[in-house]
Amino acid sequence: MTKNWQLAGAGALALTIALVAGACSSSSSSSSSSSIGAAGGGFEGVGLTGAGATFPDPIYEQWFQDYQQVEPGAKINYQAIGSGGGIEQFTAQTVDFGASDAPLQADEIKALPTAYIELPTVLGGVVIAYNVQGLDSGLKLDGETAAKIFLGDITTWNDQAIAALNPDVSLPSTPISVVHRSDESGTTFVYTSWLSSQSKDWDTKVGADKAVQWPTGTGGDGNDGVAAAIGQTDGSIGYLSYDFAVSATLGIADIKSDDGSFIKPSIDSISKAGGGLTFPIQPTTNILNSSAKGAYPIATTTYLLLYKDGTDANKTQTIFDFVTWALTRGQATVQQLNYSPLPPDIASKALTALSAMTVNGQPLTASSAVTG
Amino acid sequence: MSDSTAVVGAGAPARMRRSRLIDRGFRGTTLVVGLGLIALLALMLVELTTGAWRTFEAFGLHFFVGTSWNPVSGREAFGALPFIFGSLVTSGVAIVIGVPIAVGLALLLNQVRGSIANPLTVFVDILAAIPSVVYGLWALFVLKPILDSSVEPFLIATLGRVPLIGALFRGKAQGPDLFTAGVILAIMILPIVTAVSREVIAVVPRDLREAALALGATRYESVRLAVLPYARSGIVGASMLGLGRALGETIAVSLVVGNTPRIGWSLMDPGATIPSWIASSFREATSVGLHRSALLALAVTLVVMAFILALLSRLLVSRTAELVSGPSADEVVTAAALPRAG
Amino acid sequence: MSATSGAVSLGPVRGVRHVKDVGFTVFLWTCAVLALVPLTWIAFYVVSKGIGALSWNFFTKEPAGPLNPQEGGIVQSFIGTGLIVGIATVIAVPLGILAGIYLAEYGKGPTASAIRLVAYVLLSTPSIVAGAFIWALVVVALGNFSALAGGLSLVVLMWPIVAIASEAVLRLVPQELREGALALGLPRWKTILRVVMPTAGAGLLTAVMLAVARALGETAPILLTALGNDFINTDFRAPTDAVPLRVYDYARTPVEALHSIAWGGALVLLAAVLFLAISARVLSNRQQKRMA
Repeated sequence: MTKNWQLAGAGALALTIALVAGACSSSSSSSSSSSIGAAGGGFEGVGLTGAGATFPDPIYEQWFQDYQQVEPGAKINYQAIGSGGGIEQFTAQTVDFGASDAPLQADEIKALPTAYIELPTVLGGVVIAYNVQGLDSGLKLDGETAAKIFLGDITTWNDQAIAALNPDVSLPSTPISVVHRSDESGTTFVYTSWLSSQSKDWDTKVGADKAVQWPTGTGGDGNDGVAAAIGQTDGSIGYLSYDFAVSATLGIADIKSDDGSFIKPSIDSISKAGGGLTFPIQPTTNILNSSAKGAYPIATTTYLLLYKDGTDANKTQTIFDFVTWALTRGQATVQQLNYSPLPPDIASKALTALSAMTVNGQPLTASSAVTG
Repeated sequence: MSDSTAVVGAGAPARMRRSRLIDRGFRGTTLVVGLGLIALLALMLVELTTGAWRTFEAFGLHFFVGTSWNPVSGREAFGALPFIFGSLVTSGVAIVIGVPIAVGLALLLNQVRGSIANPLTVFVDILAAIPSVVYGLWALFVLKPILDSSVEPFLIATLGRVPLIGALFRGKAQGPDLFTAGVILAIMILPIVTAVSREVIAVVPRDLREAALALGATRYESVRLAVLPYARSGIVGASMLGLGRALGETIAVSLVVGNTPRIGWSLMDPGATIPSWIASSFREATSVGLHRSALLALAVTLVVMAFILALLSRLLVSRTAELVSGPSADEVVTAAALPRAG
Repeated sequence: MSATSGAVSLGPVRGVRHVKDVGFTVFLWTCAVLALVPLTWIAFYVVSKGIGALSWNFFTKEPAGPLNPQEGGIVQSFIGTGLIVGIATVIAVPLGILAGIYLAEYGKGPTASAIRLVAYVLLSTPSIVAGAFIWALVVVALGNFSALAGGLSLVVLMWPIVAIASEAVLRLVPQELREGALALGLPRWKTILRVVMPTAGAGLLTAVMLAVARALGETAPILLTALGNDFINTDFRAPTDAVPLRVYDYARTPVEALHSIAWGGALVLLAAVLFLAISARVLSNRQQKRMA
């Protein structure tokens, strides 16, 4: 028995020594040994850490992977801890860049310690999904009716209001079970913003935010929680981000746009809405209810938060190069993961916003690996 | 002969002094470490309360009894009561279902022979390590449909008709609810309560059990008379470990409880617990505005709740000491040895 | 005499006594079934969903991107979990056992009651609260996320578990053993270290194992303290990945291909704890034999 304790003690000691040795010898993951103009041509990039929005996580992960072919030293570690978390960490300067699904609000801007750049990277949408026996995908809904459903004023599927929008569909008398997000999210922010813009009633009674006090329904945790909840109960209706809805086998509603036509959510119809994005990004910036023809009404973008004045030459060059690449060559991959690319003129406006970035007071130019 | 036996020979007083010093030093070290636990809790409370202060300033004690939760800026209102309710109810269900099963399993593991007990023990132990997200997803995709389609309708149809407790089982079986959350929590606390109860029961001296059996007690009686009274405080400790896990569980619960802040009689309705609510909102809540502060206030509420529950359980252990335990083995033997009256 | 209140009449075993006995046995076996069915189900669920993901890449490479995940793996998560849980264990186990020793051996006064109460309260700390606490204390102070902060957040969770479970098993070491050792002239501290603790050895191992198992499966605190990392990291001062974190992320994305990797990670966790639990059992059985 003494031997066992001795073994345990020795093991603990060995572990401690290993840990300390590991710490002293290896450098932290956010700095490695590349430098500008290394032999072999061109800047190779350095490691970075970023955190924030969950919505663009899959495409960001793919981008960071692909980007390592462009600048092999650019090991960019991005963790999707949520938009609010991203803003917190960006404000606390514990990360090299942040990401948020909603634009920075006035009080968040006030809390920032340094100058920042906020620009869009990719487009997505929020869809209304449902699971009703006998109802195929493509049910037509508009803002007023959706608001009434989520307010609890419309309680059965064969209600007048829904029937009026869908004259050639036979609606069952099943009661409506509303599902909403229980966790805070940019998706909720977009959806409630749209409801607020479409229904005065909703705006007064509930309002728009990343989390609201829902008048009715049950909460699902995360997009997957909502999708599961809708899928498990007949008569359910809820809202999901587009890339999620595509993989779930739920009915998806066509939404009435301001010009009267019903738009089916798709990569294309979401992309069309992007043209309405205005610069510079304001707290109220959004691309809801786009007036472009065929544009999906509940579209949204996601933002990168960057420090405007960098001090570390390698890190700043890396992030500058990466964003340039993402806004140009990176846009080609987004559709494979069910995101919509930025319209070209919006992408170039974003590039212009990026050009304000400086390192130690000097402006930056993209490395040859990115522009070549 | 160890060097610390009988007090003989020269140098013995010095050795004794040194030994006593080491003794004091050892005791002091363990005391300091024990006090460290208090320091940890104090530090944590300080950090949490600092963050929660603005909410307490804004709402005062009303925070603990308020029933409304609205984080939208301009309409902010924060009340903790629905979450206190949800936490108590789901943990209660978890303990009521989980502890008896865990103790039963622990008793069984101590009775069957090693070749069955050992693999079973290992199996239950490893399940303590399943990430809560795995429990949550299994609960969402496997457990919940089963409960919704068979168990809950059954309970509503049978127990739901009984007066008084029937109120617990009314309503719609379908959809997320407090009962499902309670059941997954019960499953999650099984490994830890079983493991500790098993160890505690295993250490009950064999002669106690054997004395009872030798006197003709049945297996059941020997457990009731010899094992349980001796192991009682350890089993309470095991249950507290389980309660702690149940109260603090975040992800698994948030996937099946429905995350709807409400208070009501039926277990078949959705609800929300403090940790699941904090976990749901924390990632997005920012420090501007009261939202993050209110979540930290909820955390403080949970710590206060745990404190009260721990105090209550201590009282329970000492008060029922007389009522629950049967006679000790000594008393059984003595009683049998005395001639019967009349 | 109160001894006979509630005692059995020690007559022949028939009638009510027999029924109670049989009923009890039935109850025990029912408990076993009720406990084992869901636990087995979960284990099978994890195995069936995760087995497909296990591959050479899975164990040796870093993630490859959502479009072709099978070309990469989650090696950094395994290394990270080892680092974070290692740090937490090295700190929490000695602290927990020492606290357990205090409560069991010296624990009669109000101080001990206070410590015990505090330990119980700490037990119900939601893991996310432990994470938020360490975030405010360590991450903000150091200026970045780190494996050290991750380990410390796990210490907050593990320390009370080890303390309470250790106390429970140490307390049950028969008083006669202690008295015998003291009568032989062994000083208190040697009695505890050389007699009491080894006797309770199996139980102490279980206590440690429970705490480590819990730590291995925690997600929320790691999220707020170690952040996570897509790359291998061995520096305890830098962001580090962990298996449950990766499982949580991947299991909940819309990218189907990543779900399989998530379950693979969960499966490896199960296997790791299986190894721990078997070792604990083997060591404790071996030790029981020596004590007998």
